[in-house]
Amino acid sequence: MKTEHPARDRPLVYLDYQAAKPVDPRVVEAMLPYFTERFANPASLHTMGDEAAEAMESARRTIAAFINARPEEIIFTSGATESNNLALVGYALRNRRKGNHIVISEMEHISIHNLAKYLEKNGFEVSRIPLDLYGRVDPAKVRARIRDDTILVSVGMASNEIGTLQPIREIGELLQGKGIAFHTDAVAAEGLLPLDVERDHLDLMSLSSNDIYGPRGLGVLYVRKGIPLTPLMIGGGQENGLRSGSENVAAIVGMSRAAEIMREEREQEVARLRTLRDRLIEGVLATVPKSFLNGHPSARLANNAHFRFTGIEGESLVLLLRDEGIQAATGSACSSKTLEPSHTLIACGLLHEEAHGSLELTLGRFTRPEDIEAALEAVPRAVRRLRQLSPLYKEEVPS
Amino acid sequence: MKSTSYSEKTLDHFRNPRNVGVLEGDDVAIGRVGNPVCGDLMEMYIRVRDDRIEDIKFQTFGCGSAVATSSMITELVKGMTLDEALKVTRSDVADALDGLPPIKMHCSNLAADALHDAINNWRQGIKLEPMDPLAVPAKACGPQAPAAPAATEAAPAVAEPAGADDYLGKGYYRSRPDPAHLQDLRLLVVDAGPDSLAYALEAAGQAARVVFLSPAAYLPGDADLKARAKQSDLKILLRSEPLALGGEGVLEKIRVHDLDEDEEYELFVDAVVFLTKS
Repeated sequence: MKTEHPARDRPLVYLDYQAAKPVDPRVVEAMLPYFTERFANPASLHTMGDEAAEAMESARRTIAAFINARPEEIIFTSGATESNNLALVGYALRNRRKGNHIVISEMEHISIHNLAKYLEKNGFEVSRIPLDLYGRVDPAKVRARIRDDTILVSVGMASNEIGTLQPIREIGELLQGKGIAFHTDAVAAEGLLPLDVERDHLDLMSLSSNDIYGPRGLGVLYVRKGIPLTPLMIGGGQENGLRSGSENVAAIVGMSRAAEIMREEREQEVARLRTLRDRLIEGVLATVPKSFLNGHPSARLANNAHFRFTGIEGESLVLLLRDEGIQAATGSACSSKTLEPSHTLIACGLLHEEAHGSLELTLGRFTRPEDIEAALEAVPRAVRRLRQLSPLYKEEVPS
Repeated sequence: MKSTSYSEKTLDHFRNPRNVGVLEGDDVAIGRVGNPVCGDLMEMYIRVRDDRIEDIKFQTFGCGSAVATSSMITELVKGMTLDEALKVTRSDVADALDGLPPIKMHCSNLAADALHDAINNWRQGIKLEPMDPLAVPAKACGPQAPAAPAATEAAPAVAEPAGADDYLGKGYYRSRPDPAHLQDLRLLVVDAGPDSLAYALEAAGQAARVVFLSPAAYLPGDADLKARAKQSDLKILLRSEPLALGGEGVLEKIRVHDLDEDEEYELFVDAVVFLTKS
């Protein structure tokens, strides 16, 4: 179906960095030779094969350093979803004789939730750690779910929706010496928090290339030395036999360049994003009556602003904002394939009708102050318009 | 297909909805379907003269297609006789909008149902009051909203949830908890008697979030209490009863029964107060 963009004569304001990020032009530049001149298969024995292999191994070292791991612990995959598959299914199948019980949190990305359901169908037991009001996992609630037959705990580093940060280090510490593998899906936090698998006592960590402004179609699974997995992709035995298929060298070089840039610029960039994000949150809450911030007021990703507005529905809001050139997202059921509202918002204790009225704005490397000003103009206007249509919102009449 | 792959005509009716508003007077009937819990609620106002829809207005809470179908149906039926209007179906509405994404077809159902509800209410002489945002039932996502029970109906008695004894002192309270224990918590207060709503309002200043759950169709208590409830941040779940407490060692969630739809769902909470008479 044709879609019209009435705002196309103005520059679009992109505030959906959580869904996808542009590839940094410096990354594109680094990748280009690997499409045309240095295209060889790194497994080939000839000179060009050696050059491709060297480029790939150099990238592996850079990415390992980015998370304080060893190069041989980096497995390249097709993206974070595949990394999550290899971590959960690959670990569960390989270690079944040690136990049958897996623990995840209610905050997880949809891919982890669906993997947990898949494992349940295949005979595993899954416990889910509830969240507090702000979306945080309490390490004591992790401990309360550990049993003798627990083999794996998976808690995301931060919520991909509401941006709440999780106490990964504390959870890693409490799992120490228990013979339980600890996995985190770090994708939402990747370009915003310093990553360190040693500090956090991680055994498995999923990363995505695009979330540090690298190309799509590439991910990483960090696998601590000695953690046994069953491969899910069978073939020529690349990546230590854990992930067959000729490696995507151009993308790997791109992710490595993206990691280098992130390493140099992250701290400064996070401070800049936080200032912009705080202006956005304060501005919206101050100008829109009956508006609320979802997630934690301070323990949240520096680029995340997640609101809910009484009496309106999120998909309508996103459509109206689209007309104003603002690219936004919502946790409303009406925008989803299942017509179910955001699982994370429900796990925070919100009622369905509250979850329907949510708006997610996420900032990134190319967000400028004028983008925030545009959102601060458009959001209150769109909310006001929808409330005029809504039978659920009556203007406050002082009594 | 994406849920928002709307036709130009649908987007036009969403951007510029026709006939938004309410109507008043003796010759007006109101129809209502949907539920905010499911993300859509529609109200149709019709003014009937000589068995014809002389004027029609609507208010809708919902997604893009919910707004567009409400708007389109008001255009389609304005001026029709009531019998003609009753023959307008969901597919007429969807066709008039040049189609809807498959997952949004139920929205066109809602618009036709709201109109038919208004016509039936007119014919039966039923006067609905405009929507009171506080009198929203708990969790009903069926295509047809149940008729609201009469305001005078006595609230059904409510029983303590299963597991009450197990979670006593671990998040479940039969008397008012120490306010110092409520900070940062999500509290659910069950309507267990005349003091419950007053307590819920008091607790709204102590806990991070308070939900008041009652089997009644309307808020209990006197006008003053209701007015205070409307101005507070209290969340209100009507036509609901507590079924069972859950959690690993401590109270973490409560199973709720929605009386209108006879459905069950889980609500994540940290504390539940059920004030027993003592």
